[in-house]
Amino acid sequence: MTDIDTAITLGNASLKEKLNAIDGPLAYEETAYHLPVAYALTGRPVHTGKEAILAYTLTKENPFVACESILALSEQGPGREPAPYTGFIGDAVLRKLGYSLVDGSILGLALLIGTPANAETASRICRELQEKYMLTFLAGDVVPALSLASVKLGLEYRLIPLGSTSVHGVHFVDIITRVALMFGGVVPGDPGRLLAYANQRAKAIAIVFPGLDNEGIALVDALRLLGIPIISLGGYEGGEWIATAPEDAVREGMERKGIKVTVTAIPIPMSCSPAFEGKSIRKEEMYVEFGGGRSPAFELLRVKPASEVTDGLIRVTGPEIGSLKEGSAVPLGIIVEVAGKSMRADFEPVLERRIHNFVNYGEGSWHVAQRDLIWVRISKEAVNNGIKIEHIGKLIATKFRIDFPDLLDAVQVTLVTDLDAVLKGKKEAEAIYEERDLRIQGMKDTDVDLFYSCTLCQTFAPNHVCIITPERPALCGAISWLDGKIAYEISPSGANQPVEKGNVIDRVKGEFDGVNRFVKKASHGEVERCSLYSIMEYPMTCCGCFECIALMLPEVNGIMVVNREYKGDTPSGMSFSTLAGTIGGGAQTPGFAGISKNYILSDRFLQDEGGIERLVWLPSLVKEELKERLVQKLNELGHPELFDKIADETKATTLEELVAFLDEVQAPALTMKPLL
Amino acid sequence: MALKALDIYKLLPKKNCKECGDPTCLTFAMKLASGKGDLEKCPYLDPGAKNILGASTRPPIQLVKIGVGERRFAVGEEFVLFRHEKTFYHPPGIMFEVSDLWSGKEIEAVTRRVGSEHYVRVGTDLTFSGVAIRNESGDPDQFAEAVGVVEATGTHVPEVLMAHDPAVQEAGLKKCGNFRPLIYSATIDSYKPLCALAKKFGSPLVVSAKDLLSLGELTKLCNAEGINDLLLDLSFPSLREYIPAATEVRQKSILRSAPELGYPVFLDTTRYPMQDAALILGIDKYAGVIVTRALSPASSVAALTLRQNIYTDPQKPIQMNPGIYPVGNPGKESPVLLTVNFSLTYFTVQGYLESSRVPCYMFIVDTEGLSVLTAVAAGKLNEALVRDSIKKFDLEHLVSHRRLIIPGYASPLSGKIEEETGWKVLVGPRDAAEIGDYLAKEWKS
Amino acid sequence: MSENSPDSSGKIGYVVLGATKAEGGTRTVSFRLGGESDLPFIGMNTGQGSIPLVAFEICDDPEYWSPIVTSYTGDLSNDAREWAGVAEKQYGADIIRLYLTSTKRRGFDNFSSITTVMEEVLSGTGLPLVVEGSNEPAIDSDVFQRCGEAGEGERLLLGTAEAGRYRSVAAAALAYHHSVLAQSPIDINLAKQLNILLREIGVKADHIMIDPYTGTLGYGFEYSYSVMERIRSAALKGDTDLAMPMITSATDSLSVKEVREADPAALEDIAVEWEFYAALSSAIAGSSVVCVRHPKTVPLLKSAFRELWAGKMPGEA
Repeated sequence: MTDIDTAITLGNASLKEKLNAIDGPLAYEETAYHLPVAYALTGRPVHTGKEAILAYTLTKENPFVACESILALSEQGPGREPAPYTGFIGDAVLRKLGYSLVDGSILGLALLIGTPANAETASRICRELQEKYMLTFLAGDVVPALSLASVKLGLEYRLIPLGSTSVHGVHFVDIITRVALMFGGVVPGDPGRLLAYANQRAKAIAIVFPGLDNEGIALVDALRLLGIPIISLGGYEGGEWIATAPEDAVREGMERKGIKVTVTAIPIPMSCSPAFEGKSIRKEEMYVEFGGGRSPAFELLRVKPASEVTDGLIRVTGPEIGSLKEGSAVPLGIIVEVAGKSMRADFEPVLERRIHNFVNYGEGSWHVAQRDLIWVRISKEAVNNGIKIEHIGKLIATKFRIDFPDLLDAVQVTLVTDLDAVLKGKKEAEAIYEERDLRIQGMKDTDVDLFYSCTLCQTFAPNHVCIITPERPALCGAISWLDGKIAYEISPSGANQPVEKGNVIDRVKGEFDGVNRFVKKASHGEVERCSLYSIMEYPMTCCGCFECIALMLPEVNGIMVVNREYKGDTPSGMSFSTLAGTIGGGAQTPGFAGISKNYILSDRFLQDEGGIERLVWLPSLVKEELKERLVQKLNELGHPELFDKIADETKATTLEELVAFLDEVQAPALTMKPLL
Repeated sequence: MALKALDIYKLLPKKNCKECGDPTCLTFAMKLASGKGDLEKCPYLDPGAKNILGASTRPPIQLVKIGVGERRFAVGEEFVLFRHEKTFYHPPGIMFEVSDLWSGKEIEAVTRRVGSEHYVRVGTDLTFSGVAIRNESGDPDQFAEAVGVVEATGTHVPEVLMAHDPAVQEAGLKKCGNFRPLIYSATIDSYKPLCALAKKFGSPLVVSAKDLLSLGELTKLCNAEGINDLLLDLSFPSLREYIPAATEVRQKSILRSAPELGYPVFLDTTRYPMQDAALILGIDKYAGVIVTRALSPASSVAALTLRQNIYTDPQKPIQMNPGIYPVGNPGKESPVLLTVNFSLTYFTVQGYLESSRVPCYMFIVDTEGLSVLTAVAAGKLNEALVRDSIKKFDLEHLVSHRRLIIPGYASPLSGKIEEETGWKVLVGPRDAAEIGDYLAKEWKS
Repeated sequence: MSENSPDSSGKIGYVVLGATKAEGGTRTVSFRLGGESDLPFIGMNTGQGSIPLVAFEICDDPEYWSPIVTSYTGDLSNDAREWAGVAEKQYGADIIRLYLTSTKRRGFDNFSSITTVMEEVLSGTGLPLVVEGSNEPAIDSDVFQRCGEAGEGERLLLGTAEAGRYRSVAAAALAYHHSVLAQSPIDINLAKQLNILLREIGVKADHIMIDPYTGTLGYGFEYSYSVMERIRSAALKGDTDLAMPMITSATDSLSVKEVREADPAALEDIAVEWEFYAALSSAIAGSSVVCVRHPKTVPLLKSAFRELWAGKMPGEA
């Protein structure tokens, strides 16, 4: 066991001694950055031993500067090490490497250093790094060890042997430094920017085998300053290196640095594409089915700690396809477990709904409904082509990784076909569904500090800004507050942005200074104020995609709502399309608002105007669609009779008829506070 | 700032008498708010309210009608600086110039061309708007004769009478004054007699001056003479003055900060070396009436198409008529590609189909102008619509196969369409640009 | 209704195209675009902004080019070097836009030919270059690396970056100091989003030009026209993520029905007018560089801009 702290002290002392002994001109070939680390940190070109010592002093005895100066002397001319060693890598090659890093064809950089006890372990690590699109640099004894194991080295293999000593590892640093100067806009002489770039942008890791000499330890330990995780494979104690088993080294390093492998292909014997989404599998085409009332089935997606999720792991509990009878109905549980730094339990239901799409993307797999109502079929053709239940899991896991690369780090799927296990799992899942429903239903605008915006419709409604709150979904009905939140997580510069609520200006109208600030900016200065719960004063702008229009009817002191599907006349004298044409386009029109159907059921609906009691007219189709929930809500309010006091087109299609109806039923709106 | 519907409603009598033609006062208020209502239609408005509403609901730019009959057109009554803010309502009239020095035959030829030349694009007939008769002879009789030649063609196209001398104008007006020609043009020296003529014949009048300030002075003088149907001549000596001037006029008038500039713009492109450039400027930037020499065939289509583009309502997609459109010379075995009736989608797909050189049928269904993505999302494009459209357009007799290619974004519907129609559905690419490759690979008749 | 100049506070940022010998390249001229703080063709007397420039589009494999152009140019279009030279000296273009159409060929992998073409065109003209690289995402990485490398020091404008496909272009621009042509599909918010993505990867605002995508006359031009006006308005109101100069090309002008099916005798005139009407209108809507493919459209546009422009000319202090 080598004690790291002791070794660092000894290593630095020895480097200093060698540095002080330098005599002669110092230079690397084919670079415009002199001695790159010294140049970047101090802004001074170093060309002599004296200048090197000065730079070393100015950088508070930085071991990189020492190593780089020492090698600058020894690598010159005949001192250059023979192939396969590259020594210092010139700017032109580096530019290409940097290009590949920005372009994404290389995901990150790795340094392998030390003396592998076992060449096989070293070559396995190299292979894993290659498979994960890392560009790997090698310094010291690791090089001969790999050569002995017949591992091919060279740029084309993404394994670059820098030099025969551990000190050559400094070239890994001068490469990161020059990438920062070339690509990161870092200016020589600005160590702060350089460190920030290295920490935040450079995707680099170091993996250390045992047996590193003191100078090497001093050098490697200094990498921590650059934010590079140092994965130790044993043999060291003390210090802040991360001891890891060899088989976990690459994954550990990449995870710590947030380097993610992007997945593009789905490795199953079936075509998968959105083009197959609407394709159904008829009974006679089907090999086996699950759920749909024919057998118990459910699906559930849960977030788990990273340690409990093995990315890509697919398990089938119970019989596989081969032992299922053609044409039978079989129990199924789809359990998807995901892990990710920014993944939250709130997101579970939204992601869970994607299982439906993903399974449908398969040419021979079909899926309807959700939760414990799912119905899944696999076609005969697919089974003939070798599709197994396991592959459905693979499809789901891979699509999640492809579609949510930033949100999810790992996805594992368990498919249960054993009846008892499905019944048990289903029961547990149902408890979770219920808990989720309660949580979402119970979510209030007052529970959150952030709302979300949607500006997708600005394409045709230039100044429209939708503000989405837990209790007020987007007016198109398509985006809930949670959807907005996830969309923002997935695409932080997209059309859904977080909106700071800020201070309350008017609680009842739902006016917040943060929302106003956001709306003003996002509407290009056109809209100054926005009341979320009022249609009379500064209502939200309307794009054109609203599910319904709510508008005031001054003659009855009430508010009517008409939905897009309703084609007939309304008591306002205007049809939906006439109204839509007048209030759309991103304008703010007091007395009129675009709303989603679900908002009608919200406690915030018409809060400023007195709530649902103001509602005087609603087409029968919507009334029917919302009936159950609407009745429940009215019961809660203690006004069960109100349901029948809301007119529809069978009661009134003109204002006169509406007045007569409301008089007859004594609708509350007639006696409420005047709207105007 | 324009009044909102509710503010206007508060000032209305709230009788719901329906005498204005609208079912309720609120409906009427909404029309007024959008600048499209006529305050005069309300018989019970109190004078105080009328005053307040008059100033803010009157269009900021005077509506001026030119010509009579089928070919008459109106310009002005615009509300925005950029078309994306709402829309531009009244496309500029493009008037071909003739001269009273020309032979009768030449004048007649240009007039007949304006009368008959038309292009059909997206279901709309595009035509030039009228004839501008220029007095170059200085002689009233010769001018009257030229006007007579135009009239004698019986094309009834609107006219601009381009003569500065009131006596010459009068000679022309005697020939065509009943048909509301546009009088060009009154200056500070000639406005009195020309206003008198405009009044006598009920004609609109162009005013010319050296700059916007003087133009504003002049419109006020004309107003005092009882003439309100005016156009501002912005054909300043250099073409580079046009965009700044036209923009200033539009800005000030819509902000109502200079009501004396609240009139449509007149542009004579013949005085500039690059007539096409001037014409483009006029179309893009706010002109109401544009005079040009008769355009070459090449410029003609481009100019009319540009005018149609700029004056399309950005909030209402242009729609194609649903139906079946052959591409190339398709036969019974040719592929059928379904798409929506949003014009941009139609044209894009059509373009790629044509360059693919695969004869086929485009099968356009009525999604009310929604694009594929929105039509699918909104449920407008659904299996019932496809089923009904197949029947309506008799697709079953047109082709002998039963295979339908649908857009990639409509893939969620493929199974439902198959069930509903019995046709086999093939899902095409999402991007129209890939249609050629798709047909080459996937279509085997 | 307040979208007009009096209350505007923003300014279009600068982007430099091309590098002369003194600037480290080999171009005979370089252009500094941007700087406007008012609507297009307004306020030019106050010394702001620059006259719109005309880019002539050429390609390295004319099989993928409009026959209307290739029948006019004849053999010339088989030699990108010559073609670029003629575009500069005879047609009078300000900028050459090179499309590497050879990469459209199925299974294209002759990457060294890209370097050759780039070198040829750079030697054939002294004008700044816009280079349109790969047409196939799978080869983006190889193609753009070579474009960038071959043009090192020349301050190219490299295209086309799109929201799902910008990393290789951006990498080449960063590695070899070029600018990026950022194209979004006729949508102001997507244009903004792409600029933010580019910024996050390290491309600075003064190395980005916006291509809002231009449908030609009758084929969506109205959408493009309005999106340009909206981008310009937003920039003038201070939205720095949209305050880059725009470049537009109504590339479909020569392939739409009206042009393609025109009477052969009139075809050339129609092609030229179709390009001219779309390009001039694009400049009126705010485009700093307009690109065309028919040689005869170039002088028309140049004269029109000279006629309309009262401000500084390129190179004037």
